Amino acid sequence: MAASVRHLLKPWTPSLCLVRWSRYNPYYLDPDPSKDARVPESELSPEEKELQELKTVSPIKAALSSDTSSAFNDPLISKFINMMMQDGNKILARGIMTQTLETIKRKQVEKYHKSPAAKREEIECNPYTVFHQALENCKPIIGLASVQKGGKSYQVPVPLTDNRRRFLAMKWLITECRDNKHRRTHMYEKLSQELLAAFANEGNVVKRKHDLHKMAEANRAYAHYRWW
Amino acid sequence: MNLHKLTSRLCPKATQKFRHLHIQSSGQQLEAVAVETASAEANPLSVFRTSERDPTYHSEGHSGQYYTLPPTHIQKLFPYGLPPRFQLQIKTFNEGCVMVRPPALELISYLKRADYSKPPLRYVLYGDIGTGKTMSLCHALHYCYSQGWLIVHVPDAHLWVKNCKELLPSSSRPSRFDQPIQASQWLKNFKITNERFLSKLKTTQRYVWTKRESTEKGQPLGELIDQGVNRMKSSSDVVGAVLRELRLQAGGATEGEGAFKLAVAVDGVNALWGKTSLKKEDRTMCEPEELTLIHNLRKMMKNNWVKNKKKLEGIEGFDNMEPFVPVSVSNYNEKEFESCYLYYLDRNWLQHPHSRSEEGKKELIFLSNKNPSILERLCAFL
Repeated sequence: MAASVRHLLKPWTPSLCLVRWSRYNPYYLDPDPSKDARVPESELSPEEKELQELKTVSPIKAALSSDTSSAFNDPLISKFINMMMQDGNKILARGIMTQTLETIKRKQVEKYHKSPAAKREEIECNPYTVFHQALENCKPIIGLASVQKGGKSYQVPVPLTDNRRRFLAMKWLITECRDNKHRRTHMYEKLSQELLAAFANEGNVVKRKHDLHKMAEANRAYAHYRWW
Repeated sequence: MNLHKLTSRLCPKATQKFRHLHIQSSGQQLEAVAVETASAEANPLSVFRTSERDPTYHSEGHSGQYYTLPPTHIQKLFPYGLPPRFQLQIKTFNEGCVMVRPPALELISYLKRADYSKPPLRYVLYGDIGTGKTMSLCHALHYCYSQGWLIVHVPDAHLWVKNCKELLPSSSRPSRFDQPIQASQWLKNFKITNERFLSKLKTTQRYVWTKRESTEKGQPLGELIDQGVNRMKSSSDVVGAVLRELRLQAGGATEGEGAFKLAVAVDGVNALWGKTSLKKEDRTMCEPEELTLIHNLRKMMKNNWVKNKKKLEGIEGFDNMEPFVPVSVSNYNEKEFESCYLYYLDRNWLQHPHSRSEEGKKELIFLSNKNPSILERLCAFL
């Protein structure tokens, strides 16, 4: 038993040199920095108990320097910051993100204070909920893939995984703000406008999502070309 | 202090009051909050806010509480004088609230008790970055304005000493340089703040600007200022003339109706003696003495007037300033931090659910070290 475990813990080098993937042994677990990760033992089902024991025994990968154990840490926002980052300038990307959140909050709180008491309940002032909801509104449900059949390539409607949908929503937001807006406005200003519009289901990104859905609907006939 | 105990007792109530606005989970909590909201409605105003709008009556008891600046005063007195982030805050919250803090109270008490027949006293507000020097200065200026003083306020001396687009050689003296844009802007703002004094004060000597233009003796000060605003070329010299007039007249006229008290406030006074980032035409650096505006302002800083008081602000003291009364400004203490936190909660500014919990508050204290400006920037995106 000990011999087989030692064999697993040897540094595992693949026969092909895969440069893109991480070099960690697949045996290693991801770190979970949140303080609420430890749940008391009585509330766990038998599978979860096994998982917990596995965590105490097996090695864990090193944590990223951008992850914190505080509850202010939001994985979705971190992912968005990474996507906005250019040339590894994380400080600038994070600064833009915080300025965006601040601008969204300022606009909403200003509206809140100026509106009568009846309408105040409907105004959402929390920039995090605005961001999450706007991203949800931008995520496409179905995508298109290019399939070659009989010498011709067709756009085939295809279901998308969750990660792919999230990636597409963020990518569209960022490219929309970089390319299609006025040159002299700051990125945080452009992003806040686009996010507030997406929160209300308006704006160019939501329009692009709808266009994708319409294309998928139009190409329904080719759905059978998908074999996976 | 009873106020401190009130704060700690009311803090859970304040947070519960806001949980009431969001969707409740249990019926028991609803009832408890329904009872407390009725009693807490009258109280929370007294914990971190005070209804005393006049800085004359602010005392130690009000320390740590927010008082509201009347909007008319903000427009008149501070069109340009407040820090830019505070101006944004006024716009967002629809009101301008300033915290009453010990340095400002100290300064106001000095101003109240000072003897005006002796040569003017100078005060320097000093402290680390972001501890609230400019805000204390604005608080004291509000006091002066409500007492009816004439105010000479330079919002940021650093703006006169760097990033200047136009630098003209002076029309009156060959070795000096003028800054027409800054000078005319300052004159416009001076006019807005001190309108009631402009018709009362008269010039004491004849000023010649060009071959055809001159201001005669005995003209009201308003005309002098208009001259400077309209003719940009001589606006720096007009600034010098205005400052000279004010110095001469500030205390002397006890017999006439022209008696007034003068307050000079300069933000960033170390800019007057440091290096400039401006260059002359032959690409050598400009010294501060060679700029007309700076030269005239330095003359104001000396205490050879009669019957005046001045206040200054800077990060390091300078030998030119001695003797002066130093006033130290530091970070928030616990009571002030509580008050600030409650104010942000009241204005619906702290939105993240974790920031409203006890742990979130501890995190905020740790991250900001109770520094006012860092706390403000942190709470902006949380």
